[in-house]
Amino acid sequence: MKRLLVKLAITAAAGGLLFSNPVVAQIPPPQKRAEHVEITKAPELESAHDDTAIIRWTTTNPRGDDEHYGIVRYGTDPEDLSQTAKNPIRLNRGHAETIFRVRMLDLKPQTTYYYKVTSVGSSGASDGVESAVNQFTTPAPGERIVNYRADSSLPPAYRTGTPQPR
Amino acid sequence: MRRDTSTLVKAAFATVLGILSVPHTASAQLDQPFPAYNPYPPLPGSVPPTVLPPDLQSEVLRVRREVQTVFGRYFAEWQALTPPTLTGQPPTLFPTGYDAVRILGGLLNFDENMSPFQNQACSFCHMPYAGFSGPIPSVNLTMVAYPGTFRYRAAKRTAQRYTYSPYFPQLQFNQGQNLFFGGNFWDGRATGYKLQSADAEQAQHPPVDPLEMGFADTACIAFRLTSASYRQLFELVWGVDFDIRWPANTAEICGIPQGARRFAGSPTPIALSPTDRTKANNIYDHWGQSISFLEHTTDVSPFTSKFDAFLVGNYTMTADEMAGYNLFNGKGNCNSCHVDGRSTLLTPGQIDTGNTVGGQPIFTCFGYANEGLPLNPRLPLFYESRPDRFGFTPNPDGLRYRDLGFGNFLRSGPQSGTDPNAANWLQLAPETDGQFQVVTTRNVAMTPPQCPTTEAGQVDANGKPIPYFQKEFFHNGYIKSLKQLVHFYNTRDVGTFEFNVTSGHCPPGTTERVNCWPMKEVPQNLDMTTGMLGLTDQEENQIVAFLQTLADGFDPNNPTVSNYKNIDTFTGQCTITAPGVTASTQGNETLTPTWSLTQFPCATDICGVAPLPSMTIP
Repeated sequence: MKRLLVKLAITAAAGGLLFSNPVVAQIPPPQKRAEHVEITKAPELESAHDDTAIIRWTTTNPRGDDEHYGIVRYGTDPEDLSQTAKNPIRLNRGHAETIFRVRMLDLKPQTTYYYKVTSVGSSGASDGVESAVNQFTTPAPGERIVNYRADSSLPPAYRTGTPQPR
Repeated sequence: MRRDTSTLVKAAFATVLGILSVPHTASAQLDQPFPAYNPYPPLPGSVPPTVLPPDLQSEVLRVRREVQTVFGRYFAEWQALTPPTLTGQPPTLFPTGYDAVRILGGLLNFDENMSPFQNQACSFCHMPYAGFSGPIPSVNLTMVAYPGTFRYRAAKRTAQRYTYSPYFPQLQFNQGQNLFFGGNFWDGRATGYKLQSADAEQAQHPPVDPLEMGFADTACIAFRLTSASYRQLFELVWGVDFDIRWPANTAEICGIPQGARRFAGSPTPIALSPTDRTKANNIYDHWGQSISFLEHTTDVSPFTSKFDAFLVGNYTMTADEMAGYNLFNGKGNCNSCHVDGRSTLLTPGQIDTGNTVGGQPIFTCFGYANEGLPLNPRLPLFYESRPDRFGFTPNPDGLRYRDLGFGNFLRSGPQSGTDPNAANWLQLAPETDGQFQVVTTRNVAMTPPQCPTTEAGQVDANGKPIPYFQKEFFHNGYIKSLKQLVHFYNTRDVGTFEFNVTSGHCPPGTTERVNCWPMKEVPQNLDMTTGMLGLTDQEENQIVAFLQTLADGFDPNNPTVSNYKNIDTFTGQCTITAPGVTASTQGNETLTPTWSLTQFPCATDICGVAPLPSMTIP
């Protein structure tokens, strides 16, 4: 009986020790959503292969949910932008602006696509911005378009948007 | 004095016993009583031309000796500890309760008896000098995943660092943000739902993972503890009841690795009464809690990096480190996910008013992301598709295996755990395919003192080459240096670097991991926060310099000597940079061609389980 009491006491002590120890960090709540969000750099083609393309644009920091989705609505008819591509990005709470980038997959080569962009928080709340309709044309198989450079060591031709051998 | 002498003798005896149990032969004798499991095919034309590195067994034995050294140190600490006594209400272990649990965690973590063949402790894959990640340079360079108790069943991914893992909350779905936070493991399968500690539940997985420590039954932990040299300490801390009626075949069962045909899939082959099963389960819970406590202490997570010293004015960053810090928070956008709790300073002289709870940033958002790593064909798991001598086949999917990460866990898929909230979370799997945990960047650069960098091609002030410690990065170890890691974030999406090929098939004239990035293993849900940062080569190097300030063990009073606990235990060899190799091309000699993914598409038990992935996995 005495042994049992000792065990119960030790168990209680051990439990107290464990649960008195706050071991996890707190996840801060999301920032308050920006009252007004605007596009500060219009959407444009970052790069394209014959079957993929990346669109990028910049907005003021929408704040709110830590994760946002850039969304591109697109199609081959400017009146029918019924296809959607979206990718997540993680907001930087310290940055005044946010760059959205979306990867479009399963495109057709040498085809003109029309698109417009918007963004939403991970909870689905819209940032309230939408671009005008833009367009780009995918290159032929084996070629690529590159509008952004990786670093200054790249040959100039790779920065011009000229189709390059793939 | 008599007590001290006795303690030293006991500690020395324990250490010697441990060392004697490891064969010290130049031929690196296999440390199990039968031949190794070796389903691995030759890799003709690759270096080395095998999945298993040639020095694997000698390195296994080397790490075992180091594990035993640390075990001996914790044993000595226990012997020297002023025994705590129960005092007050609620009864509390006074005044050394914290040390008692910490030391117990250390003993459990470094105890090789916690595996069927008594040849593998938890720490075998997590040694202090590597920031509690993988301790064998040749494994990090080639096979990535570590061998288990049954040589050479091998695990699934890189050994994730312990440091700061207790700070991850239990896995939770934040309905306000529609996002998951917390959990442990790359795929979040240690949720913390029962113990309310994801880290404690993490510690409960490897002992019964057939590819790791591999017990057939969780009760084997309680069984082995009944004869442990430190059982008294376990009883003191937890007050548990080891009075369990063990069936006569318990020792035999605990000596056979998980998955053996004779267990017929039973998760509890030891036939315990319900009462005894409850006791064994409680002991298993306390096993996890003890190890988690250790990982939370300054033995593992001490917040003693140069960066921590910098925050309180005890360290001045070099120009490159400071530039790297500003890039980390600015152009590099690293702190969007690896949150440092600081403000981004845009104006010279601006005061940083950022902060975190306790002032100690963890450098993670506790979330999940798909960074788009290519499939790594060096991973042994792909080849573990033949039954071993126990009738167990580690990966029946073979070359059709694909790592969907968090999404696979939500589906309770192969090579993962069971989703305890599938009733609510299963539907979210397609949105999380390809995602892996955003780990802390703390200690990503930690190395043994004698190999003071992770990067090839470094020289000291006199131009003398600096030996390096080969590490591996990301969940599948595809990246081999911090330079490559930053370069990947910087250039993954650069149009001229992106190729529709698999690893090992970059076109002539390109260099993989330099200006050729193969296709992503999982293309959907790709995180686009980074991938096209526009950093210069110098800026990449500066971010690497900043990452190196996040290694714990910096002592402002003795800045050239790390005071990180047990960092001195590495007895292996550093790597000397081969001619022509740089941190950018480090490890490229080990690249091996990936098989045809078209010929071996994703297995149906991974990609064919509802709710289906949102698009085809190559």
